Amino acid sequence: MENRKTIIEGRGLERYYHRGNETVKAVDGINIDIRTGEMVSVLGPSGSGKTTLVHLLSCLDVPTGGTLSVEGTAVTGLSEDELAGVRRKTMGFVFQKFYLLPTLTVAENVELPLLFLREKPDRALTLDTLRKVGLEDRANHLPNELSGGQMQRAAIARALIIKPRLLIADEPTGNLDSANSKSIFDLFRNLVRDQGISILITTHNLALGYLADRIITLQDGKVLKEERQPIK
Amino acid sequence: MRFVSMAFKNLRRRPVRSVLTIAGVALAVAVAVSLAGFNMGYRNAIERSIDRLGFQVMIMAKGCPYEAATMMLKGGTGLLYLPADTLNKVRSDPDIGSITPIFIGLAEKEASSISDSSGGAFAIFAGIEVQSYMEMKPWLEFETGRGFDGGRWFGAESEDEVVMGYESATYEQRKVGDKFIATISPQGQSKPVQKTFKIAGILKRTGTQDDGTVFLPLKTAQKLFNRPDELTILGIKMKQFSGAKLQEFESRWVSLPAVQVVSLQQVKSTLVMLVGTAQTMIAAVTIIAVIVALIGVINAILMSVYERTGEIGVMKAIGAFRGDIFQLIWLETLVICIIGAVAGTILAIAGSHLVESAIKKLINLGVQGSIVLINWQIVAGVLLGAIIVGFFAGLYPAWRAASMHPIDAIREGMD
Ligand SMILES: Nc1ncnc2c1ncn2[C@@H]1O[C@H](COP(=O)(O)OP(=O)(O)OP(=O)(O)O)[C@@H](O)[C@H]1O
Ligand SMILES: [Mg+2]
Repeated sequence: MENRKTIIEGRGLERYYHRGNETVKAVDGINIDIRTGEMVSVLGPSGSGKTTLVHLLSCLDVPTGGTLSVEGTAVTGLSEDELAGVRRKTMGFVFQKFYLLPTLTVAENVELPLLFLREKPDRALTLDTLRKVGLEDRANHLPNELSGGQMQRAAIARALIIKPRLLIADEPTGNLDSANSKSIFDLFRNLVRDQGISILITTHNLALGYLADRIITLQDGKVLKEERQPIK
Repeated sequence: MRFVSMAFKNLRRRPVRSVLTIAGVALAVAVAVSLAGFNMGYRNAIERSIDRLGFQVMIMAKGCPYEAATMMLKGGTGLLYLPADTLNKVRSDPDIGSITPIFIGLAEKEASSISDSSGGAFAIFAGIEVQSYMEMKPWLEFETGRGFDGGRWFGAESEDEVVMGYESATYEQRKVGDKFIATISPQGQSKPVQKTFKIAGILKRTGTQDDGTVFLPLKTAQKLFNRPDELTILGIKMKQFSGAKLQEFESRWVSLPAVQVVSLQQVKSTLVMLVGTAQTMIAAVTIIAVIVALIGVINAILMSVYERTGEIGVMKAIGAFRGDIFQLIWLETLVICIIGAVAGTILAIAGSHLVESAIKKLINLGVQGSIVLINWQIVAGVLLGAIIVGFFAGLYPAWRAASMHPIDAIREGMD
C-alpha cells in the first residue's frame, strides 16, 4: 500500500479568501497525498472546506500558500490553459449537478472531453465506458430522458472516457436519493477494484464516506482526523 | 461530432429565441439585399432608358438641362421650344452622324373607354420625320397579332394619321384602324380644337418613353399646335462620341441664342447623382437595420452564455482550453448570422416584385422596366457582410465565455 505511486501531493496547502478586512481560511495548512488505486473520501460539516480543497487538488483553483505537485511535477505558477492541460491528461470530474449538455445524446456527452483533446471518438470505446456505469442501452437517449441516477452515471462515464488516473467527485450524490447514492458508491468501489484508478470524493453522507479506503475529516479548513479502512 | 455541429445543436435549445434572433438578422439582410438590388436596378434602368433614346446629344431651348432630361424620360410639362431654322444651321456640322427634329406637344385625350377621370388624361404628341427618326431608333417595329396587324408609318404629309406607342395604345384599348380623338390648344388661340385621328400603326413595346407617346408627322404637329417654325428637340448621333468631340461640338453651337447642348452622358451622371442622395438615406436605413440585428445577436448570445455558466465551467474543468470555449460561442454567433443571411436573401429575392411595385408606387422614378435587380454579386456581397458582422458580433460574447473562471462558473451554476 505505502509503495504505491503518488498522483497528487499537497504540502501545507492554504486557500484564504479576503472579504474586506476579514480573512476566510477555507483551507488552512493541509497535507494530503492521493495514491494510485485508492478511494479517498473527504468528510466534514458544511463550510469546512471540502469543495475548496478538491478544487485546489484538481488544479481548478490556485492555492494562496503551500505547494502542489501532480504526478511528480510542481504545478504552482502555471497558466490557466497549462493547468487545463494537466487536468485533462490525469483527472476526470463529477459534480453534484450533472451538467450534461441537453442538446447532445448520452454518447455524445460522454465523448465531449475527446473533442477538447482533439481525439477522434471511438463508439465501441464509448459504449464500453457506458457499460461500466450500466448505461449501455441509453447511448442514444437525450439527458432529459434519464433519471437523476442515470444522469450522474452518464457524467461519470464522461469523466472515465479519457481513462483518468484520478476521478474527482464533489458531492456526486448530493442530488440523488439514498438507493441511487449507494449504487453510485458501489460503482466507484468497482472502478477502483477493476480499473485500478483512484477516486477522491466529498460527501455529507458518513455511511457512504466510510466505504472509502481512507477517510479524511475536515473542520474549519484543517484536517480533524484521518482514518484508514481495515483491509477487506 | 465537431464544434460546428455543437453550435447548430445549441440553436435548438431555445428555439423561440433562436428563431427571433435569426429573423432579426434575416430582416436586416433582406433590407440590405433589396436596397442594393434597387440601387443596381435603378442605375441600369436609367442607363437603359437613356441609351434607348437613340441619340447621345440633344439641342434644346435653354432651361434646366435636368428638367429637360427628366422630361425626356417621363414626358413632362413646361415645354420650351427652339426656332426651326436651328436644324439647318446645325445640320452642316462635320461631327454629326445623323440628326432628327422632334416637336413635342401635350393634348387632352378624349375620355377613354375605361372610365378614368381627368388624371392621366394627357397624351404626349411627338411630331417626327419618320426617316431620320428611324435612323436614330432602328429597333422600332410595329406590333403584330390580332388588332395590331397591318401597322405602318403615316405619310409625311398626312394630317389625320397617328402611330401610337404600345402603352398609349393598349391603355386606351385601341387597335390599328381605330379612331383616336384628342383636344389640342393651339398656341395663341383661346379655343381648343378637337381632332380625330386614325391609328395607322401601333409600335412594339420598347421599355422607353416611346411606349407612351403618340407619333404624328412633324409638319402636322407644328400646324396643329400652331408653332410652324418651332421645334422641341434636335436629337443628334455623333460620328464619333467622346468627351473631347462633344466639347468641340458644344463650343461651336453654344453661341446660338436661346439654345443649349445637352449631352446624355452628362444627364446620366447627374441623374445617378440624384439617385445617390436617395442612396444615402437607403444606406442609413440599412445601417440601422444592421445595428438593430447586431444588438439582437449579441444580446441573445450573451444571454445564452450566462445561462450556460455552469456548463462552460464544467467544459473547462474536463479539459477545454480558453480557445475551445471561444471558438464554440463564436461559431454559434456565426451560425445564427449565416442562417439569417441566407433566409434574408431568399426573402429579398422572393419579395423583390413587391418591393418593386411599392417603390414605384411611392416615387415616380421616370423609368420603365425592372428597377430591382438582385444579382449574384449583391448576394455574395451581403452574405460576406453578414459573415463579417457575425465575426465581430461573436467576439465579445465568446471572449466573455472564454474568460469565465471554471470554479466561479461551477459554484455559480450550483443551486
Ligand atoms: N469565493 C469565495 N469567496 C469567499 N469565501 C469563500 C469562497 N468560496 C468558499 N468560501 C468560503 O470557504 C469556506 C469553505 O467553503 P467550501 O465550499 O469549501 O465548503 P464545503 O465544505 O464544500 O461546504 P459544503 O459541504 O456546504 O459544500 C466557506 O466558509 C465558504 O464561505
Ligand atoms: Mg462543497
